[in-house]
Amino acid sequence: MKKAAGSHRPSRMRSKNRSGFSSDQTSDTAFRSTSISFFRIFIQCMFCIGTLVVGFRFTREAHFLRASFHHPEDSFSRRTGARMGSLVSIGNRSDLDLRIQEEIANDSEAFRLENSETIIRSRVRVDVGRHAILIRPWPHPDPFEVIQAHHLIARVQMEQWQLYGSKESKPIIAITTTFVRSFQAVHLTGLLHTLSLVPVHVTWIVMEAGGVTNETAYFLSKARVHRLLHLGFGDAMPAGLKERGQLEAHMRVEGLRYVREEKMEGIVVFADESNLHSLEFFTEAQKVDWVGAVSIGLLGFAGFEEPAQSRIADVHQEEVGAGRRDNLFARPTFEPQVQGPSCDSKGNLVGWHIFDPLPLEEEVYTGIMLAQNRRLEWPNFVLNARAVWKTEGNQPEWIKSWDEWVTPKDGSAPDIKAILRDDKQVKVLGDCGRKVLLWWLRAEARADSRHPANWVLDENLEIIVPAKSTPWPDRPVRVPSPPPPPAAATVGTGSKRGAGSRVSGGKGRRSKRRQSRPNIS
Amino acid sequence: MTKDRRYGNFSLLTSFGLLLLFLCQRVSLAAVHHQRISGSAGDVLEDNPVGRLKVFVYELPSKYNKKWLEKDPRCLTHMFAAEEFVHDFLLASPVRTMNPEEADWFYTPVYTTCDLTPNGLPLPFKSPRMMRSAISYISTHWPFWNRTEGGDHFFVVPHDFGACFHYQEEKAIERGVLPLLKRSTLVQTFGQNHHVCLKEGSIVVPPYAPPEKMQSRFIPPSTPRSIFVYFRGLFYDVGNDPEGGYYARGARAAVWENFKDNPLFDISTQHPSTYYEDMQRAIFCLCPLGWAPWSPRLVEGVIFGCIPVIIADDIVLPFADAIPWEKIGVFVAEKDVPNLDKILSLISPEEVLEKQRLLANPAMKQAMLFSQPTLPGDAFHQILNGLARKLPHDPQIYLKPGQTVLNWTEGPAGDLKPW
Repeated sequence: MKKAAGSHRPSRMRSKNRSGFSSDQTSDTAFRSTSISFFRIFIQCMFCIGTLVVGFRFTREAHFLRASFHHPEDSFSRRTGARMGSLVSIGNRSDLDLRIQEEIANDSEAFRLENSETIIRSRVRVDVGRHAILIRPWPHPDPFEVIQAHHLIARVQMEQWQLYGSKESKPIIAITTTFVRSFQAVHLTGLLHTLSLVPVHVTWIVMEAGGVTNETAYFLSKARVHRLLHLGFGDAMPAGLKERGQLEAHMRVEGLRYVREEKMEGIVVFADESNLHSLEFFTEAQKVDWVGAVSIGLLGFAGFEEPAQSRIADVHQEEVGAGRRDNLFARPTFEPQVQGPSCDSKGNLVGWHIFDPLPLEEEVYTGIMLAQNRRLEWPNFVLNARAVWKTEGNQPEWIKSWDEWVTPKDGSAPDIKAILRDDKQVKVLGDCGRKVLLWWLRAEARADSRHPANWVLDENLEIIVPAKSTPWPDRPVRVPSPPPPPAAATVGTGSKRGAGSRVSGGKGRRSKRRQSRPNIS
Repeated sequence: MTKDRRYGNFSLLTSFGLLLLFLCQRVSLAAVHHQRISGSAGDVLEDNPVGRLKVFVYELPSKYNKKWLEKDPRCLTHMFAAEEFVHDFLLASPVRTMNPEEADWFYTPVYTTCDLTPNGLPLPFKSPRMMRSAISYISTHWPFWNRTEGGDHFFVVPHDFGACFHYQEEKAIERGVLPLLKRSTLVQTFGQNHHVCLKEGSIVVPPYAPPEKMQSRFIPPSTPRSIFVYFRGLFYDVGNDPEGGYYARGARAAVWENFKDNPLFDISTQHPSTYYEDMQRAIFCLCPLGWAPWSPRLVEGVIFGCIPVIIADDIVLPFADAIPWEKIGVFVAEKDVPNLDKILSLISPEEVLEKQRLLANPAMKQAMLFSQPTLPGDAFHQILNGLARKLPHDPQIYLKPGQTVLNWTEGPAGDLKPW
């Protein structure tokens, strides 16, 4: 590129001191080439900066110009009222109005405007009178615009957080216990997304019963948290509810031990996977000095569904019959079950509101969770990580030391409330416990239910039995026969790969698998 | 080669450094709460009118003002209540003077929008006669009207189409501004360019919205704004315009038909009890025209920090010389309504944040409210500022003795009957 005039040997530039004549020439060429190259560099810089400045706005302007210069009126349909069946498409608005006026006059008698008064356009620039209702040909959301709008919303919310959001940003340490089971995907995915959305740094400690498995690791890989620790706990999770609670307590203590050893800083939150957290919970948790308490709402079976509903109705009937209730027709109400701290009118903690199960008969645990313990749950409490550190001198004297509360003397499972010597020092979060920031969804599959690993079927199912109670007609069970040609295999699968549908990951995968299956009988 | 390489590196470094500078400049625009507002008349929102003008308030018999209030106290709470509150404000204001000789402006307290139907809608049929009667009263009892034939008088006419005194647009245009008010200054809510009912030199004010009702419903500003577009109101006025296309010039119906299934648009006719709270969770609030181009939604949007999307061709917004509305709101032509989602989603985030900063300015919110008791910078003060900006009067408004300009027999025959 740096060719001096008349010289095609750039190597000459390097050997400047060969001879007097050649050195003159080289210095001359060198001088000229540097002057040209400096000018070029300068121009290059200017253009660079210019494109930086202009380039960003240019794309924005191009979009807007494209949108604004596209004259929409010609491509719009016009609707002029319910009575008009056909669409009127005229370019000139004045003609449109006049014609519509006449047509409507012919149409209806109930037309209230005096039709002799046509458009008064002489004194106003905007037409008075009947106008067409402009509807574009495809009046449905455009995905590009929807994404743009969501970017806008995200930017506005980020600005709001910067201006008005909580100034405290202590990191959060979330301790979760999990084990591989049918509903793990349901619960863990929700928790994963919630923790990914928390605006401060989150360290997520996941304790898995039965050791670290690939299935859980696969879910956790999607988490966008600051630090993820996937630890295994040797024992497998037992089936019984009580035993499960005990093992979970041990696992949480293990998690706390990890925090203690690594001297992690932040607020420890017991984010159970079957809990639904609101983001406000994490904002409230920032207010904790040493120990905080929140209210949990309990969902699932506690009176929302059958058979509890009919039981409540029966009890209500009984009470009405016995004359204890007046209103025969009033619907029996039940309050949502909430467990947590309870305050007096001044805002001081006076007690704990513990879940009181509705009068139910004894039921065998086949997957329906009953609250058999009357203790507070671990997620009710929020700790400052320093409360479990080794340097016990720094902790207030109403927090017990680690060895005191972690192994209870009677051999039962550790309980978080045992860390307190004095209940009154607990900081109550969420408007003194009145605001429910967490919900515990007590829903599990049967203990003996099985599910395919990662909810993906790689091979054919071994046995296919027609379902007994589906709303769609059963397919007849046939004796296995040689595989039919692939085209016939898609019959009746309800695949929606029509012209207008998108074949995105999930749907495409499913239908592909169906096609690969040789025999769908 | 080495020298070129060195120069090459140098140019790379300079362009890189300048790029860094450019980026830093963009990033250093840290989160700022709000920004000062200055319109075409300058930075006048926070001016103090006291000492800049003097207003004389005529004492009219109570049949023009107090009797209406006794008959129907709803006049103090509906959206036309500005006329009553301006009267109360002026009676107690330091700009009021008891000496009419030194007054710059004269105010006539006549409540023309207080004749309400049982439903609460004002009937304008008697208003022209009431106004004529008031003017003939002041012209016979004081010499100041005849001195200028109303050139230094102002009236508050907050009805749908101002001093045209009709709710139907064609009839209002036919009537035009009341002939006797031709030379006076009108303080009205209606504003539309190239329209008969907006006289030149009028002061456009916002409709009355009860300040306490709105200010008691604030939610914490850290609540994230998650609604993209919000609107609650009628799309079709089935009672008066069953066919559609006449109400709002078809614009509201177009909004419904185009965006009723769009999840970004939270639009409905159901009025919820959390209306004010929802507006504070929305980024854009639609303010389309109805039977008249103005609406209290503009005031509500400004108070709650929701960017107003104004769909009304040629509208003149309140205090347009003090408030630069193009920088604060989004104006969409009625013919562009079908593309509203495209237009709104293509607005750059910086622009949206800029508009929100302007809206967060407390002077802006104050200017839209008729607060009781009056506060500096509120709508009353903006009216006085507007009047003060029109001073000194053009000496041509002063008529020679015996010269008359107005024709007292002008107008429809029904108006000439005494009231």
